[in-house]
Amino acid sequence: MATIVGALGIPHNPFTALAIHRGDASGDDSKRLYGELAQQLEAMRADTIVVFTTDHYNLFFELCVPIFCVGVAESTAGPSDYPMLPRFEPAVDAELAAAIQESVVAEDFDVARSQEFEVDHTILAPLGVISPEMEHAIVPFWLSTSMRPLPAARRCHALGHALRRAIEQSPLERRVVVAASGAFSFEVGGPRMSEESHVGVPAPDWAIRVTELLAAGDVAALVSETTSDQLAAAGNASGEILNWIAMLGAFDPAPAGFVEAQRAEGHAYAAWQLH
Amino acid sequence: MAAALSIYAVNKVCRRAVADPAFADALRDDADAALRAAAPPLSERERELLLAGDVGALGRLGANFFLLHQLARIEVCGLTLPLYAERIRAEYASERAQWASERAATEG
Repeated sequence: MATIVGALGIPHNPFTALAIHRGDASGDDSKRLYGELAQQLEAMRADTIVVFTTDHYNLFFELCVPIFCVGVAESTAGPSDYPMLPRFEPAVDAELAAAIQESVVAEDFDVARSQEFEVDHTILAPLGVISPEMEHAIVPFWLSTSMRPLPAARRCHALGHALRRAIEQSPLERRVVVAASGAFSFEVGGPRMSEESHVGVPAPDWAIRVTELLAAGDVAALVSETTSDQLAAAGNASGEILNWIAMLGAFDPAPAGFVEAQRAEGHAYAAWQLH
Repeated sequence: MAAALSIYAVNKVCRRAVADPAFADALRDDADAALRAAAPPLSERERELLLAGDVGALGRLGANFFLLHQLARIEVCGLTLPLYAERIRAEYASERAQWASERAATEG
């Protein structure tokens, strides 16, 4: 029987990963935080990591954008978008991925399937730091959290519930970690950028509020407070919180075992040990 | 509706500029020719705004900022990231002032 053994919330700024790989001091605090997640992941003794993430227009572009999509293949490679980062070729858990899609579609979640894909920095920038040996298979699970219209928070949370049932009903012998990639407040290239650069964190207080709710395990409040107005004010990458909300649907609400925000980055690092 | 469909062509130019090195080279060698050959076709105004690196006006037309800033990341259409940021801030100065005052009110 497949079991969900833990959950991780992981930021994915590619330039942070680059700084860490290069040994720059600017990456030291993030290196410490990714190190915490690496220890947590090791304790979970996982076989497979299901990663809720956001395609940064690399796979689907604006050509044909599924609201939800799971990757079913034997392996993948990347990151597809930052050639200056180390390149990896992680295994994909095709059996589990296919079982997840079949189960959630049977529960009326119209989740698409991609069978040929590279993955971008949102998965391999953090995993390349946390788990550079790539000893876990992954299952990419894309949520359309960038291009409008976005799925509602409650729908993403319900999708997490469906993922949980899919995994727990699977006869496959798997220890599964459910991960979420992304930030809570971030703007790239848009009008809410900072005065100093082309990116910014327009709603640092929202990022701290989310972190407090994660620490308290108050998922219901997080789902109800993640409104379209809140996401608009928090920047054009802020929809990535929906990846976290889907991840939180995969287990009973619980305070994070580890959570720490980087306010100036608009995100947090978090882990839950579940078994 | 036509405007929404048309701006897709701008977003596609931005995507090709980072994903297709030959297209990026073509933009550097002869941007006007590269943009005239874009498919789907750009409107005259979109092509002129891209040639001028007028990212503020393109943003107002509905271009995707994440994709648009990639032009500055690879430095085509006369753009650099600092110049890109300066033009977006200038175009959206009034909204930025409004957002700043809203934030100050919340924090106050």
